[in-house]
Amino acid sequence: MSRVCGPLARFVIVGLLAVCVSAAPAAAQNVIKLGNLVDLTGPTSDQGKDIAQGRTDAVQWVNEHGGVNGKKLELVSVEYGFQPPRAVAAYKKFVEEDKVLLVLGYGTPDTEALRPYITKDKIPYISGSYSGHLTDPRQTPYNFPGGIDYTSQIRIFFNYVKETWKDGSRNPRVAFIYADNAYGRAPIESGRAYAKEIGVDLVDEEIIPTVLTDATSQLLTMKKKDPDFAYINTNTQWVPVVLKDSYKLGLKTKYVVNNYGLDERTPGLAGPAAEGVIGIQDVAYWGDNVPGMKTLMEFHQKHHGSDTHASPYMRGWLCVIVAAEAIKRAGNAPTGESVKNALESLKEFDTWGITPPFTYTNEDHRPTNRARLVMIQNSKIVPMREVTVDRSMKWIGK
Amino acid sequence: MNEQLVFMLQLVITGIAVGGVYSLMALGFVLIFKASSVVNFGPGELVLFGAYISWATILQMKLPLPVALLVTLLVAIGLGLVIERGVLRPLIGHPIISVIMVTFGVASVIRGVLNMTWGSDTRPFPVLFSPEPFHLGPVPVSPVHLWSFVSVLLLLAAFSLFFRFSKTGMAMRATADNQQVALSLGISVKWIFAVSWCIATVVSALSGIILGNVRGGVDFSLADLGLKVFPVVILGGLDSVAGAIIGGVLIGVLENLSGGYLDPIFGGGVKEVAPFVALVVILMIRPHGLFGKAEIERV
Amino acid sequence: MKCGGFRVSYRADERIFDTALPIVGLVALLAVLCVIPRYATTYWLDVLNRIGIAIIGALGLNILIGYTGQISIGHAAFLAVGAYSTAILEVNVGLPFYLAIPLAAVITSVFGLIFGIPSLRLRGLYLAIATLAAHFITTFVIVHWESTTKGVLGLMVPPATVFGLPLDSDARVFYLIFALAVPAIFFTKNLFRTKVGRAFIAIRDRDVAASVMGVNLLHYKLLAFVISSFYAGVAGGLMAHHSRILFPDSFTLLVAIDYLAMIIIGGLGSILGSIFGAVFMTVLPEVLKLTATSLTGVYPQAFGLIASTRDVVFGLAVIFFLMYEPQGLARIWVRFRSYWQLWPYSY
Repeated sequence: MSRVCGPLARFVIVGLLAVCVSAAPAAAQNVIKLGNLVDLTGPTSDQGKDIAQGRTDAVQWVNEHGGVNGKKLELVSVEYGFQPPRAVAAYKKFVEEDKVLLVLGYGTPDTEALRPYITKDKIPYISGSYSGHLTDPRQTPYNFPGGIDYTSQIRIFFNYVKETWKDGSRNPRVAFIYADNAYGRAPIESGRAYAKEIGVDLVDEEIIPTVLTDATSQLLTMKKKDPDFAYINTNTQWVPVVLKDSYKLGLKTKYVVNNYGLDERTPGLAGPAAEGVIGIQDVAYWGDNVPGMKTLMEFHQKHHGSDTHASPYMRGWLCVIVAAEAIKRAGNAPTGESVKNALESLKEFDTWGITPPFTYTNEDHRPTNRARLVMIQNSKIVPMREVTVDRSMKWIGK
Repeated sequence: MNEQLVFMLQLVITGIAVGGVYSLMALGFVLIFKASSVVNFGPGELVLFGAYISWATILQMKLPLPVALLVTLLVAIGLGLVIERGVLRPLIGHPIISVIMVTFGVASVIRGVLNMTWGSDTRPFPVLFSPEPFHLGPVPVSPVHLWSFVSVLLLLAAFSLFFRFSKTGMAMRATADNQQVALSLGISVKWIFAVSWCIATVVSALSGIILGNVRGGVDFSLADLGLKVFPVVILGGLDSVAGAIIGGVLIGVLENLSGGYLDPIFGGGVKEVAPFVALVVILMIRPHGLFGKAEIERV
Repeated sequence: MKCGGFRVSYRADERIFDTALPIVGLVALLAVLCVIPRYATTYWLDVLNRIGIAIIGALGLNILIGYTGQISIGHAAFLAVGAYSTAILEVNVGLPFYLAIPLAAVITSVFGLIFGIPSLRLRGLYLAIATLAAHFITTFVIVHWESTTKGVLGLMVPPATVFGLPLDSDARVFYLIFALAVPAIFFTKNLFRTKVGRAFIAIRDRDVAASVMGVNLLHYKLLAFVISSFYAGVAGGLMAHHSRILFPDSFTLLVAIDYLAMIIIGGLGSILGSIFGAVFMTVLPEVLKLTATSLTGVYPQAFGLIASTRDVVFGLAVIFFLMYEPQGLARIWVRFRSYWQLWPYSY
């Protein structure tokens, strides 16, 4: 009896204690709670770690600097392992138990799964997913992608192709290489349409699995179509596999990678295979010369100086900066609706220079139409130029 | 040469190269099964463990390469001992479902501990092999794949000799054959189990190092590749070392051929699922695989 | 107070309840269940709903593994088939939920039958590996049959309606889920008082012996798969109505492992165990989540560390139960109960 009941009793006691601790009433009315959904154990945990760290740090920073309208922010953080059902469960807790004002969301499948709930509960939702499907306020009034949407990015790619293409005898040939998941597929449909519209021949689409170790067969198939450019839409840890295999096969295709596929770690991961690869940069890289970086660096140095960070860390800060500004604008008694309206009032809002200025309106939730093209040269990321796409309403919500 | 033929040749050779890594992972699995009839459902986590330890020793602690590799292998041996002594030995004689489940449990703990120690962000892996491909006729092969293949062949040779001539190796074969007879002949079956786990974790660590180089970095998705072990071992035979190696190569080739010819038709994903389709087919036709011992009870 | 099984007639032996007390308890429990949605918050209702779904799924898996001894790692695939069939029948065919869920369960049973065919030749770990393969094949089909399943973009499911009342809140779905979970428990209980159930147990204990005693292995093994997947189909159908959007990611291998853990931790071959396991495996992550959230309120910087303990705790729980209490929570409950029944003379 005691052999079993001992550990069991201990477990029960620990569990009860835990529940009691968590049930302890929140300190005061002077706290604004934000839901924070991140993946630290699933397939995107690579980005998740720094995003979580960035959000935590940013909230701490905001609180150290007087909070928002005199109130402190509090993150209610949940790790969901990139599983949509767990995200839904976490969301229900955010809304019902924690009464959060706003949710800092995460990936594409879970954000799309939560769409109906968010709209019903009127909870502003700033997501790490920049899926174009979330940009149309008529359908998703409370979704705010926290960066330039994937559809705009793929259009940037096509514009770049069009601009650099000098051979008048034929149209440039392009291919898509994308991950077999909601994130990878998000901009593909729009990409096909845009290719047709601007006269670029989309000759091939290669689908790669989410978890990738070898892309040779896909690249060999692509090679038959001989594209001049290819757009890679997957995550940072798998893009190097594509690049390395392409390097091995000696392909001449020019690669452009979306914002989540290439960051300051890519040269280290892909080595010489990364040379000449172009990335679409949505946030500042660690150590970039932008106004807010000094604050970030100082905070990092003070609290956890020994570790290193990459662009997801800046994305973490970004979400909180935007959220804090909106809450500030919503006044002393912010509600979901007033925060949403405040977000939609952001006009050319300076995100400490971490991103191009953000503008949400009640007709268009694309935060920006600007990004930067970067190229990897001599194992370093070299900025090329700022690019802008038009905010044509044709692509909204797609 | 005809273009179609080159395409196929490229697929086949890439398949063989990639298959070498699968063989290596499968080797660890087969050794455990051969000695102790335990099916390890977390082979990926052992690989992940090896990759992280070698990353930590080489890049974090900045040990010289040979020392770092030695430390990695020693730590892997330690892990093997801990798993065998701590978890599997108490479960000897328990139903299969318990043993299957406990390996899931162990895998989960390994994952969690690694995550708590180093966090989940991708770590650039030390470059051990030149990235410049060399050409096998018209087909470029990356050196890391070549080296993995060489290490597979070396290991095959080493294990063949080990099982044939060394005392421990013979004892392992005897144990695999019949535990009770082995016991009565004075073989310490517990010792054999421990040795087999240690060898398996070491081999898994090696494949971790190789996979880290293939990827360029380590992160937790590396563990998902462990599942590729199952088609390999079913094809080769659960208890055959040679089977694991040939099975790995065949599965690699099958993957690449189906990727090259079927993916364009189905819109992707066939490359990943083809090994599992093959698995089901093999189980229906020849459950003991190519080289396994045919001792499945027919029901 | 009773302290043993002393029965003098077949009738007495066949009774489910020996005394009136459990019946009173059950009625009270059912009454509590009926009023819970009035008082619980949506979050806890959501947890309860997931428990209800997990109970049905775990019962199904326990019938297959715990009672019949056929190992399956493909339970997530069964759930997926149930969920997607329900959704597709409602969205594309336009059936109401009360036809769609049973029909989906039948489809899942047929699917289970196909799944089960390898069990005629294979057993033990070979069957486990075959079902593992089937899991990946099913996922592949769901991801790539985009015209119907919407693939990775997710399939929206409209809320079920009862007499014009949409079941669009957790409180309303709660009644649907428990209206199916409670009968499922009783059906399982009764199943093992019949010829079929006993044949299952005979097969588990030794299939050759069972066959000698006249149990038709072909028939009963496939039947076990059919019944088990029927449960999974129902559970899947309820999942479709509970989450109202389906993704292939909602049915990963981790889900199958969670269900395995439920029946291991709860107790193999035990109905009570399936229930305990379902509760344990649903509540444990919530407790961890609450702990993590409250601790990170105090130490925000430790969130990453605390959040990643989930894998460790899950793994340790599984290992702990397998090593120290292989018959699971159900066994602990029995011991606990008999201790107090005989108190103060317990030994």
